Amino acid sequence: MSAVSDRNDEHDELRKVVRAFLEHASPSSEVRRLAETDEGYDPEVWRRLADELGLVGLIVPERFGGAGAGAAELAVVMAEMGRTLLCAPYLSSAVLAPAALLESGDETACAEFLPDIADGSVIATLAVAEGNSDIRDLDAVWTTARADGDRHLLFGTKERVTDGYAAGLLLTVARTEKGLSLFAVDPEAVERRPLPALDPTRKLARVHFDRTPARLIGAEGAAEGAVARVLDLGAVALAAEQAGGAERCLELSVEYAKTREQFGRPIGAFQAIKHKCAELLYEVESAKAAAQDAARLWSAAAAASEQGLAASVARAYCSETYVHAAAETIQIHGGIGYTWEHDAHLYLRRAKSSALLLGSTSWHLERVAADIGLVPTA
Amino acid sequence: MASATVQDAGTSPARQAHWSVRLAEFLDAHAGRPPRDKTARLAWARAFHADLEEAHLAAPGWPAEAGGMGLDLGDQIAYHQQMTAARAPRHPCGLSFIVAPTLIRHGTPEQKERYLRPLLRADEFWCQGFSEPGAGSDLTSLTTRAERVGDAYVVNGQKLWTTMAHLADWMFALIRTGPAGPGGAGISYLLISMKSEGITVRPLKDISGGTHFSEVYFDDVRVPVGNLVGEEGGGWAIARTSLGHERATAFLSDEFRYRRVVSELHRLAKTSGAADDPVVRQDLARIEASVRVLASNSRRALDAVLEGRDPGPAASVNRLVRAEFDQRLHEVALRVVGPDAVLGQREPTAPEGGRWTYGYLMSRSSTIGAGTAEIQRNTIAEKVLGLPSWRKEA
Ligand SMILES: Cc1cc2nc3c(=O)[nH]c(=O)nc-3n(C[C@H](O)[C@H](O)[C@H](O)COP(=O)(O)OP(=O)(O)OC[C@H]3O[C@@H](n4cnc5c(N)ncnc54)[C@H](O)[C@@H]3O)c2cc1C
Repeated sequence: MSAVSDRNDEHDELRKVVRAFLEHASPSSEVRRLAETDEGYDPEVWRRLADELGLVGLIVPERFGGAGAGAAELAVVMAEMGRTLLCAPYLSSAVLAPAALLESGDETACAEFLPDIADGSVIATLAVAEGNSDIRDLDAVWTTARADGDRHLLFGTKERVTDGYAAGLLLTVARTEKGLSLFAVDPEAVERRPLPALDPTRKLARVHFDRTPARLIGAEGAAEGAVARVLDLGAVALAAEQAGGAERCLELSVEYAKTREQFGRPIGAFQAIKHKCAELLYEVESAKAAAQDAARLWSAAAAASEQGLAASVARAYCSETYVHAAAETIQIHGGIGYTWEHDAHLYLRRAKSSALLLGSTSWHLERVAADIGLVPTA
Repeated sequence: MASATVQDAGTSPARQAHWSVRLAEFLDAHAGRPPRDKTARLAWARAFHADLEEAHLAAPGWPAEAGGMGLDLGDQIAYHQQMTAARAPRHPCGLSFIVAPTLIRHGTPEQKERYLRPLLRADEFWCQGFSEPGAGSDLTSLTTRAERVGDAYVVNGQKLWTTMAHLADWMFALIRTGPAGPGGAGISYLLISMKSEGITVRPLKDISGGTHFSEVYFDDVRVPVGNLVGEEGGGWAIARTSLGHERATAFLSDEFRYRRVVSELHRLAKTSGAADDPVVRQDLARIEASVRVLASNSRRALDAVLEGRDPGPAASVNRLVRAEFDQRLHEVALRVVGPDAVLGQREPTAPEGGRWTYGYLMSRSSTIGAGTAEIQRNTIAEKVLGLPSWRKEA
């Protein structure tokens, strides 16, 4: 029991440190400034996240220069980043890319790439999705890899690659004769284009491979299970970020409901508003609990099937909660909530976009259904 | 019921054995299927709880002075898990556990001595006399009144929606003994024997067509002054003790029950082919997600309580979350059952005895009884989020 409480104390401490940092580093004005750029992050803030706070290498094992922390700590950090809409390639470079390298089991590649990722000097990302298909639908991956001496050549196009434009290292999956495989690509060798996006606070890019030289990471044909695990961990992290964002929406709404007066009373005295807030509280608290629980299972190295199920439960719940919270925040603010100047739309953009990235709610619900044995009989 | 061994254990060194070992022995000795007949099943549950009390294995969370086991929260959780795993019958009068904490906290020594043991043993049943025709959500406007005459209160008026009134031996009631005022002034907390002269119980049929609650009329009912709990006029504050008590462990038994019910629904969906419909399948997945989120929520609140921290907002929202979950669960269940969900319980071909259709109707009460969902939202918004009161004067 004391182990639990020590851990909770540590998490509280971590939360405080990250919150204090981001309040300074990621005010609304910065979020809006960076949203206008193609790279979508501030190199100085990124450096401090890596050097001063040691957060960029959070889940990278110590032997590769990271902090060796688990999903539980990652969830604490992501929740804080979600609260302030931090513009930074954190999900890509601190979660997806390092997780992909680690899951590949390729020690040489880990030793070569992870230290630079962990210290923030190289920004990495993972490119999976193609066409208009869900990222979790790996059957929809058509990009091919052809052997060419001791390297491969890639052909294909990856869509909605998070931070694909800013990345200095691109990990991607492509098909060889042996199946889905993981590759590392030098982004200088590809054609890439930043995509105008619903959520300008998380950068997306289209990446085009045409005879692009690539290095095989891990065993050929072994990427399918590994990528699914990486995307599951990503789902846990993103769920925490969503819960954090939703929590912030609720705070904004409650603050406004207490101060805005109409008919001679604060609007929060009207039940139509009050009940929306109460509703959001229970959704937000449940979302936080679901995200934390999923992260706890990942940290505790529970059975892989349990972890996947918990990731999907958390993602499905947190996606719906965040979108609802952001939409209600606009409603509770009335006309001002509909303006460009107010941050409410930034949260709605982040919420909706996050719900669609890394597996739609439908995909996650189907996974839950399958895991409890509800599959079509035919 | 083969309880002799356990009772013997009460006087032997085995008495000192760890409670969980004794409970395991007890549950072994009492293993068996519940009788099918309703009356026999009630008698069976009563006997179980009487034996449990006899073996000093009842009321894990109550202090030892009150006849409980005085277990800490961690052990209480383990206790409930053990009971659920063994499918032990629930105490047949859940309402008793609303009055009990109030008596433990505010009762006189005589009151505790008189009421707590029969309550635990399920020898005596309790009902809650709060709501009235004119006083539902706005409970402090209640008008059933008592006048002090010698060493008794004389009660006149009417209570409504009184669950179990037709089976109860006692009622814990809120009765007006003085003029109404702010903060529930003038309301007293009385224990009234349902055998008293002048009480008329008129059972009401509820949504399911069954009888679970009643109207209760009081016509010059004499209640000894010794049956006043706390101070005269201090009843409103006292009644809130039981509300606060709901916070931690009470959720556990709900949770185990929901987990079981959802799994039963999955089983039905698999055999009925309902899972072939992608919409139903996703609804079921959402229900599965919800039951897991519910568990995460409680775990978070319980972890906090176990570590002596404030469980925070999670605990206050739990009841509302559950109430609405219960309704969604049953809405989905009827889609899983399919067209035969239109059949009533008395139709022998109704799927699974019509339990889901019945449950669907019953689930409508979860957002009304024990405080409506709207009132709970008011409370959450004001007490947790600090929003201004909806009352005009505030
Ligand atoms: C199955 C069941 C068992 C029950 N058992 C018992 C029992 O054993 N003992 C007992 O004393 N009572 C019992 N009750 C009564 C229960 O506590 C009341 O029904 C409940 O408190 C609501 O009161 P009401 O029915 O008068 O509805 P009302 O208070 O008249 O409410 C009607 C509607 O108005 C809404 N409303 C009222 N005030 C507000 C407000 N301020 N803001 C927003 N909306 C508002 C309500 O939410 C509801 O939707 C039971 C009820 C049920 C359904």
